[in-house]
Amino acid sequence: MTRATLARLFAAIVVLTVVIAVPMTQIHWDGTQASSQADQIDTLLNVMIVLSSFVFAVVLVMLGYCIWKYRAKPGDESDGEPIHGNTKLEVAWTVIPTVIVLFGAIYSWIVLGDIETKAADALPVNVTAQQYKWTFNYPLPNGQSVSSNKLVVPSGRQLDLHLTSLDVIHSFWVPEWRIKRDLVPAGEGGNDIDNTVRVTPDRLGTYNVVCTELCGFGHATMRALVQVVPSDQFASWLAKQPRVKPQAGTATGSSTGSPSEYSNGSPTGGP
Amino acid sequence: MVAALKRPGLGRAALGGLLGFGFGYGLVVVLRLISGLPATQTAQTGYPQLIVGMITAAFGFLIGLGAFDYWFRWAAGAPTYPAELEHKAHGAHSWRDYFKFNTDHKVIGIQYICTTFVFFFIGGAMAMIMRTELAQPGTQIVEPGTFNSLFSAHAAIMIFVFVIPVFAGIANYVLPLMIGAPDMAFPRLNALSFWMLPIAGLLFVGSFLAPGGGFDAGWTGYAPLSTGAPLGQSFFNLGVQFAGASSVATALNFLVTIITMRAPGMNFWRLPLLVWANLSTSLLVVAATPFIAGVQFMVLFDRLLHTNFFQELNGGDVLSYQHIFWFYSHPAVYIMMLPGFGIVSEVISTHARKPIFGYRLMALALIGIIVLSYTVWAHHMFVSGMFAWLRIPMMITTLLIAVPTGIKIFSWLATLFGSKLHLRSTAMLFALGFIVTFTIGGISGVMLGMVPIDIHVSDTYFIVAHIHFVLFGGSVFTIFAGIYHWFPKMTGRMYDERLGRVHFWLTLVGMLGTFVPMHWIGMEGMPRRVADYSAQFGDWNLLISCFSFLLGAAQLIFLYNMIVSWKWGPLAGDNPWRARTIEWLVSSPPPIFNFDQIPRVVGGPYEYGVPGARHAILGPAEAEVGAAEPAVAGSAGTGPT
Amino acid sequence: MEAHAATVEHAHGPPEAHQSSRIDRQTLGILLFIVSEVMLFGAFFASYFFLRVVANVGPWPPEGFDLPTAVAGVNTAILISSSFTVHYALVSIQRGNRRGLIAGLGATWLLGFTFLFIQFNEYVHIGFSARNGAFGTIFYGLTGLHGAHVTVGLILLAMANIRAWRGHFTSEPKKHLGVEVPGIYWHFVDVMWIIVFTTVYIL
Ligand code: HEA
Ligand code: HEA
Ligand code: CUA
Ligand SMILES: [Cu+2]
Repeated sequence: MTRATLARLFAAIVVLTVVIAVPMTQIHWDGTQASSQADQIDTLLNVMIVLSSFVFAVVLVMLGYCIWKYRAKPGDESDGEPIHGNTKLEVAWTVIPTVIVLFGAIYSWIVLGDIETKAADALPVNVTAQQYKWTFNYPLPNGQSVSSNKLVVPSGRQLDLHLTSLDVIHSFWVPEWRIKRDLVPAGEGGNDIDNTVRVTPDRLGTYNVVCTELCGFGHATMRALVQVVPSDQFASWLAKQPRVKPQAGTATGSSTGSPSEYSNGSPTGGP
Repeated sequence: MVAALKRPGLGRAALGGLLGFGFGYGLVVVLRLISGLPATQTAQTGYPQLIVGMITAAFGFLIGLGAFDYWFRWAAGAPTYPAELEHKAHGAHSWRDYFKFNTDHKVIGIQYICTTFVFFFIGGAMAMIMRTELAQPGTQIVEPGTFNSLFSAHAAIMIFVFVIPVFAGIANYVLPLMIGAPDMAFPRLNALSFWMLPIAGLLFVGSFLAPGGGFDAGWTGYAPLSTGAPLGQSFFNLGVQFAGASSVATALNFLVTIITMRAPGMNFWRLPLLVWANLSTSLLVVAATPFIAGVQFMVLFDRLLHTNFFQELNGGDVLSYQHIFWFYSHPAVYIMMLPGFGIVSEVISTHARKPIFGYRLMALALIGIIVLSYTVWAHHMFVSGMFAWLRIPMMITTLLIAVPTGIKIFSWLATLFGSKLHLRSTAMLFALGFIVTFTIGGISGVMLGMVPIDIHVSDTYFIVAHIHFVLFGGSVFTIFAGIYHWFPKMTGRMYDERLGRVHFWLTLVGMLGTFVPMHWIGMEGMPRRVADYSAQFGDWNLLISCFSFLLGAAQLIFLYNMIVSWKWGPLAGDNPWRARTIEWLVSSPPPIFNFDQIPRVVGGPYEYGVPGARHAILGPAEAEVGAAEPAVAGSAGTGPT
Repeated sequence: MEAHAATVEHAHGPPEAHQSSRIDRQTLGILLFIVSEVMLFGAFFASYFFLRVVANVGPWPPEGFDLPTAVAGVNTAILISSSFTVHYALVSIQRGNRRGLIAGLGATWLLGFTFLFIQFNEYVHIGFSARNGAFGTIFYGLTGLHGAHVTVGLILLAMANIRAWRGHFTSEPKKHLGVEVPGIYWHFVDVMWIIVFTTVYIL
């Protein structure tokens, strides 16, 4: 292959990469960003879209070129050149993808660390799922708590969500926040299910909590409302809610004989 | 009539099944009465009398079919003789022989392929019902509960009784021929493996008749949803056992055949890549499938005997189900892909008239994939609440799998480079199409492997898109390539290339139209496994459904082409593609014992364009090694006379 | 597996496959089968790990569960000695000693059966069932899985016994695979028991 063909192929790959990547990164595939975590995840996604577009362009251009260039003429029954391999090329296409994916891994690792760091003033909320409804419980400093079936949260403050399930596995997801975690029913005997998930909503509005783990015939409709409000509005909302005397965690827990771990997980101290 | 019921065959098998069921049912009832329990148990998850009855029915069926006749005789010390010589049980002399317990690997191969394609159409029809329901938000034609059963059965059927076994079927037919063996190492075990498959399929389909409906916990059957589900779930537990036992037995058979029965001269670096692919797949199957057998037994015990494997209130561990399940089911996705890689290598090399580029690295990449595949299972559990520390190591190994897979993609492309590319065969179209669609699916897999991205898109339609790009655009495309490629060898007739091309293009367009938009709606917020969804996704879903009907219709063209060509297609000749591997050196279809004499292998399998090179020599007449004859041109074929 | 070749000379049979490896099919087959069996046990050991280490941090076995380790230890000795008898049977037939073969196989079968009987007895008197907590579940899970394998081994050995009585085995290399192959399986069952016993009763 001449140098000129090589250059032309390379140019085609670059052009195709741009053609695929530019529109793909312009569209907000993930929809509205409504948490401080969302931005980082979307940036990671966009970087990967660019890299993937390049990989895909390499494959597509080489395939197209071969089909166009080496297509046998009708009646030509001869064989191709007996090339058995080329060590330099083989090394190249082992090393380059390795570098790309290791870059992706390290970048993801950093992002993961960032989106999971705990803020000092995080607001604890206990999330309880059961077939097919959600309960949100706000522990208060005086040992009482507030229960609600919609999740009202202040904007700009990190949430420390403690997740429990009373029957099968469910999953908590607010698409606009980009955060998802399963709610796993857990026994008493000390287990290390990672049931805390953090997210910092930063955009006012109303969203949906979507259950994303198959949990039975009601799975598709297992939703709850999320309202992100300014913090003073949140405070007044919370003040207006009726108090639940004993800790809701133990109340619900005892009825099914389950998680003492649930009350351990919810710091009663509050903000 | 009575005589017919005494002879091994489907009649006796049906009788055996009935007797077996009666025996199991009776056994449970008697045991329960002895221990002072009520005769039958009909608690939601229980029904031990039915479960045991189904197991014994399956064995009764197999005994009736004649699967164990030889072993019974052998065990009792009665005279036995190899099945090849028992003329009735070896080779097909009429179409009826395909409905018997037959030990010929070629007959078994065809039995496999036809049976699995029946299940493909059943599973596909379920997908069509799902797409009809999903065409609009709200409930149209099926209840949410039924919808759950539909996608569970759709996936179980497609995976356990279509993709995994159809590869076993294709390899069953061509692999012994390719390595110059007269049959598989254990022909009777081979036949037994096949006959366990319809049992598994019937259990999956039959679950819809169970009280409480079909199994509805997804093909992943996560506990505790599955341990508390109605009777249908047990059909899934049992079906997986039969499908799993079948694939372990076949894999063992392939391994022994490849290791001990290669023709003289066929060393490991002369094996066609299809053989390499099945070698590595079989290693995966033998060492991974028992994990799913184990975990489905645990679910069954939790359901029937009320053990506590996954009952968190009694000390069980819910998440251990997922760990054990994925320790099998991640390797399983490569079980569903590696044989396809083998097929694509054969097809591309033949139709590009070029040796496979980097043959040895291609083989080593397969080994690299199987080794890595044991170390990545928890990438399905990034959001499951498992040990948080496990996510990073699993992410790194997951991403690294892109490297050996990339080696394969790039080597195929390099094989095309400088080739004489023929697009006249539909097999080649599917192989090239596969490179494009599988790369898309692989890349979306790499994105899923990155924990922060997976946190957002896990359990959404993005996953559904990934699944179908790798399984439909990957596995199924290679299956079509393989079927078209070896159709002339198996039937002796040629299929209609024009219809084949139509099938390919409609399938490609249909699959892109169906599965590309799924990425978008997934990222935007549509969860998977839902019968109903919010109105904002309505338009996209309508479009997806339309394309999926096109995709379904395209498969009917395939069906028509295959059936008609098998009966009336023009004769194909022994070697229509002028390929080099051994199966093309014998007649089409091959003689009943494959060879008169074991061939001798004198070179690599893909030496296209190398003057004077040969892969194998058949028969005594051509004894001189590397005879100076040039490669035979034209489609005359070089079958034995 | 031994073809009675004399009876079928007339048939146009398949060509004899080329033997491309030193190991014969049956032995390789049983070894691979054992690999998959090990993985089946692996699934249950994985469950054991999760139940003991992850889901239950308290004492193990939990209070109220007592295992008759002494009886099980004796039983272990019984099973291990059967490994020697089956080996003796194989060595005997290799030397052409048919009486030794029959004695070895018979003794193996009886020892194996005794093991199963004692284990069954243990189940009856142990005082808890598979429904009692995670410990009961995994105790019965592991020992029961092993018991099922002993049963399969006994069926294979029963066939070998019948055929030994009928005089099917001789000292020629391929003419006693019917002893060798079940023997390999039986050794596996024994080794597996040592692992199960150590894990469940001792650790
Ligand atoms: C044939 C089946 C098959 C195959 C081959 C694959 C291949 C891969 N899969 Fe996929 N996967 C499934 C079938 C398959 N998968 C199924 C069925 C599920 C869903 C199960 C369920 O929940 O129901 C799933 C789910 C799934 C998940 C879990 C998502 C979730 O539930 O949250 C993840 C996460 O990491 C993943 C990753 C990968 C990766 C990294 C590969 C890699 O092997 C891909 C490697 C290939 C390439 C990358 C393309 C070619 C390479 C190049 C051109 C080189 C250069 C490339 C780069 C530098 C990027 N898959
Ligand atoms: C090899 C595996 C395989 C294959 C080939 C397919 C093929 C198809 N799949 Fe499937 N699918 C899975 C494996 C597979 N799938 C898995 C593992 C899941 C996850 C399940 C879970 O969540 O547990 C899934 C889930 C899944 C869903 C998501 C369900 C949900 O989460 O709610 C959908 C939705 O559209 C879908 C659609 C399709 C379609 C349209 C096809 C088409 O390609 C089918 C094309 C074939 C045919 C249509 C058959 C031929 C034609 C006829 C029978 C005649 C009738 C034709 C007409 C009426 C036009 N599949
Ligand atoms: Cu709760 Cu799905
Ligand atoms: Cu995976």
